[in-house]
Formats: sequence, structure tokens, C-alpha cells
Amino acid sequence: MNPTDTTEHEEIIRTEDLGKIYEENGIPVHALRGVTTIVHKGDFLVIAGPSGSGKTTLLNLIGALDRPSRGKVFFEGRDLSKKSKSELASIRLHRLGFIFQAYNLIPVLTALENVEFTMMLLGVSEAERRKQAMATLQELGIDELVHKRPNEMSGGQQQRVAIARAIVTRPAVVLADEPTANLDSTTGASLLDLMERMNKDKNITFVFSSHDPQVIQRGRRLILLHDGTIKSEQSRTR
Amino acid sequence: MIFKLAWRNIWRNKRRSVVVMTSVAVGVIATLLMDTLSRGMIYQMLYNQIGSHVAHLQIHRQGFRDNPIIQNNIPDAAVVERAVSSTPGISHYSSRILTYGLLSSAAASSGVFLIGIDPDQEGQITTIKGSLAAGTYLSGGPNEAVIGQSLAEKLGVGLGDRVVGMASALDGHVGSDVFRIVGLYETLSSEFDKSFIYIARDNAQEMLGVGDLVSEFAIRINDISQLHTIQDRLLEELGEEYEVFTYPEILPFLVLQIDLYEQSMIIFYAIIGIALIFGIINTMLMSVFERIREFGVLKAVGMKDRRLLMMIVLEAFLLGIIGTGIGFIVGYLIYLPLARTGLDLSMFSESLRSWGVGAIIYPVLTWNVIANALLIIPIFAVLGALYPAFRAGRLQPMAAIRYV
Repeated sequence: MNPTDTTEHEEIIRTEDLGKIYEENGIPVHALRGVTTIVHKGDFLVIAGPSGSGKTTLLNLIGALDRPSRGKVFFEGRDLSKKSKSELASIRLHRLGFIFQAYNLIPVLTALENVEFTMMLLGVSEAERRKQAMATLQELGIDELVHKRPNEMSGGQQQRVAIARAIVTRPAVVLADEPTANLDSTTGASLLDLMERMNKDKNITFVFSSHDPQVIQRGRRLILLHDGTIKSEQSRTR
Repeated sequence: MIFKLAWRNIWRNKRRSVVVMTSVAVGVIATLLMDTLSRGMIYQMLYNQIGSHVAHLQIHRQGFRDNPIIQNNIPDAAVVERAVSSTPGISHYSSRILTYGLLSSAAASSGVFLIGIDPDQEGQITTIKGSLAAGTYLSGGPNEAVIGQSLAEKLGVGLGDRVVGMASALDGHVGSDVFRIVGLYETLSSEFDKSFIYIARDNAQEMLGVGDLVSEFAIRINDISQLHTIQDRLLEELGEEYEVFTYPEILPFLVLQIDLYEQSMIIFYAIIGIALIFGIINTMLMSVFERIREFGVLKAVGMKDRRLLMMIVLEAFLLGIIGTGIGFIVGYLIYLPLARTGLDLSMFSESLRSWGVGAIIYPVLTWNVIANALLIIPIFAVLGALYPAFRAGRLQPMAAIRYV
């Protein structure tokens, strides 16, 4: 399917001929080989594919976490290849949210503080960030966890806090790398429900990289990668 | 929140942080005690010199200090006495006649400074009266002498024995007299005790043929901060015919030694700091390597390198400042009783006396010591954290998140 099929939506991210080569033990590994695609506002997009297909690499490149070996990533019209390290950090802080497979909460902070953290980096006042963090935790139904540290929470609870951390700053896009991989299917489904609700109710754009069938099934757009190239791309109506 | 994060981070590995803080604390205790005791020793040397002879200010005829001969006496003692009496801030003074001479017993001779004093005046400004080890102070009787215990031993004399003093008189002849030893003093400087003998001022004036002339006015003041003000006032009152010296001008080597000490202590603190820096680097590197994934996440969510660096440096600063605080409190608690009782170094008393220091050292805590102890080590802790922090700042977020 041609990515231009969805041009009626606002474009947030566009990749052009994106390539990434890693060196592994001195041998070049082509993780991505010329990927061109678009992420639109409100997408619930899943990048799927077998291990080593390049899905996480693509997610990292569009998330300004890594630089491509060739090609370009445009984020809200800005060419990321021309941005400095500090400017990329600023884009990640202001415009992106991240959800990781291993949750990656800050272990010495409570759930509330973890959610507040990115707002602190944004310079939001203590009172305001506390208010917003509490509201987000309540919205996700985990306000009873506010004073718990990550080691006192289950995997599902930690990932919910991670979702709260990712969305609290109202980012343009939330990038989720294998968010259900460490969770049982029931917990995974409930988290996907939650993210779907955020997508529908708040029009938050989600981009997943996953090979979990239930994530793939939920995606309204699906990009299937194979050996670093787009094998197929499809939109679904739900 | 960065402070909260840094604070909680240092307690993630309690044992390691406690070890670092303990090493910092021990370093601070050691430097604090060493510094206060060394200062105590140097200040004791200075105060002993001031107390035993030099006083705070001295007035002479112009040129006497360069050429302290009897001919360079004060032309009009009454003028000086009036100036001294009318200058505020002066507590006591003593007019002296002093010259270099020879003191002989039946067995031996020794070159000495003969000091002719008014016993009452001198008793107000120096500690000789209070340093008597045997016998009595000058009573005003004829031909009495008080000499140092060390000199007495050297000449083989004791209380009641007679000695002959000789010195160049005003007219160029040799003046001499026989003195009876009435007292033996012992100050904290064995060198001083071998060199200075005290006789009544009128005896000295008679022996040297100087009439009622004197060589020197030694002055004590109430407030040491007024030293230069009083010096300026006296110089203004007395004019160019006189010279007025402060004790730092009279004891330049001792003052230089204090300056040198201040500078050498900075080097000493730096050495302690450098030794501690490696401990801090090691600790912070371990701490950074343990948290590489976490730093990757912090960077991924938008934390800038500068802020990450600040957080790691803050962690090291907290380790340093807590260790310093504990060290300072413990060091101060050790210092307090020592400042009252002193540290008894009797086993080294002979060598200490040759340096003009008593066997009991009283530590001296100054603002310099406090500033050095409280600032230098935390600064080195921060310096020690820069390299690990810089390493953390250079991490690529993705590589860091994937780090195993």
C-alpha cells in the first residue's frame, strides 16, 4: 500500500530512504535498507516483523534516539539529521513519549515522581506537575501506586506507570518498543486497551514495534518489515 | 527533583557510600587535627617571642635596629614616655637598656644580651617574671641578675653565685660589673634562655656609663588589630629621629614561616584531596557503570547531558560534603578538649624547646582551617566526579538502554 493513501491526515513523521548499518565485530550489518514511510497524527501504528527485521531500529530512528546511516527522518517537518545532540534531546523531551519493553522506570523514584520527572525536565512548577501527574495516574486507574517504587510494583503496574510517564507531557507521538513482551497476555491486553483508549479519546499517536500477535491485531496501521525493508504496509478500519 | 534523585542515588549502595564518606571523614579529621596542632605550634613560637622579649611594638633611636650599639640610645626618654602615655590603646610599656656583652663565671664565659630593666615595668609586658624556675625576680637590690637555666648550666653556676658582666660602654671603654644570680628562668625556648640576662636598669646604666639613657621602649597594646594604627600614631608623634617597629617587622622570619605554612597547608590539603579523588572516581565510575541503562532512559526521555552531568557531580558533592561534615564534627569534638588541655609532647620537649615551643601544644582553630576543611575536600569530590559524569554524558541513549 502506498503511504500517500493517508494524506488526508496531518503528517508527523516522514522517513525517506532510511538506512542504518551497524558494525558487529567489525562486520557491517544492514539493519534498515531504504525505508520510506509516514506517521500521521492519530495513528495507532504497529511496526511488525521477525527478530532482526529492523523494527526497533526504525523506531529508534524516528524517535530521534539514533542517527541514520543514510536517508532522512522529518519530524513535524524538521529534518532530524540537521539537529544537534542537544536539539534531538529537546525534541524527545517536548514532542515524544517512550515506552520500553523493560519498563525502565527510575528505581529510586516513586510512581508519582517517575511520572513527574519529564515535566520537571520541562521546567513545570512542582505544584503543577504534581497535579498533572496525579490526574494522569488517576486516569490510568493506578492512583493507588503513587507512593510505590518500581520494585514494589508488578510488571503490568510498572508498564502502566511507564505509559503515564510517556503521555503526561501530551507528546505528539508515543513510541512503544515491545511494550507487552514482558507481560502475560491478560495484562498485555489490558495495557493495549488503555493505549487504544488514549489514542481514541485524546488523539495521542502511538507507534509500536512488536511481534506480539495481539499488538499486531490491534494496530490500525501495520508496517511489516523483513530484512530491513518494508514488505507490506496496510491500513485497517476498526 | 535532581537533588532528590541524587540524594536517593547515593543511598542505593549504602555500604559503598558509607565507605567513601568514612574515608572523607577520616581525611578531614586528620587534616583538621594536623592543621590546628601545627598552627598551635607556630603561634606558640610567635607568642613566646612576643611574651618573652619582643612585645608588640618597639621604639628605638633611628638606626638602632640595624646597629644595636650602646651609642645608638634614645636621645630623650621623656619625649618617648610622653608619646607612649598619650597614645590610646597601649596597655603597658617598659624602657630598657640593652647591649651585647660577655658573661663569665669562674669556669666559663658566654656571649649574651644584657638587658637592663625596670623590674616592675618589665613584669607587665614580658613573661620572664612568671618563667622563674628557681630563686626570685629582680627586687631592686644592687647587682642582682636573673639568667636562664640553660645559661647557668653552661657557665656552671647556680643561685647565689657571682658572675661578671662585661660590655662596651658609651665612651668606648669596656664596662664591667659583678652580679649575683638571684633567679633562674626557663622559657619555652632554650636558645633564648642561653642568650638573655636581666639586670636592674640603673645597674646597667652605671656599668655602661650612659647616665639615665635607655635603648628601647617595648610596648604591649590592648587590641592587636590596632597594631598599625598605634605604630603610625607613634611615628607621627615622635618624628624621624625615632624608629617604631611592630612585632612582624621585628620577627620577619617567623611571620614568613606563618605565611609559608599557610601556603604549604594548601598543598597538603591538595595532596589529601588528590588521594581522595581516586576513591571518588572509583566509586562514581562503579556507580555510573551500574546505571548505564538508566542513564540511557533518562537521555531517551529528554534529559540533556548537562543535567545528567550535574546530577552525577551532585551525588559526588553530597558524598564529599556529608563525609566532610561528619569529619568536621568529629574532628571538632576531638579538638575541643585538646584546646583546653593541650597535647602533651613531653617526650620531645628538648627538641621542641630548641624551636621555641613548649612541650604542650594547644591546637589553634582559625577561619582558615575551617574554610580549608569544609571547602577543599568537597571541591575535590566534585573534581573526582567530573570524569565519570563526562563518561555518562557521552553515552548514546540507544546503546545505553541496550547495555547489559
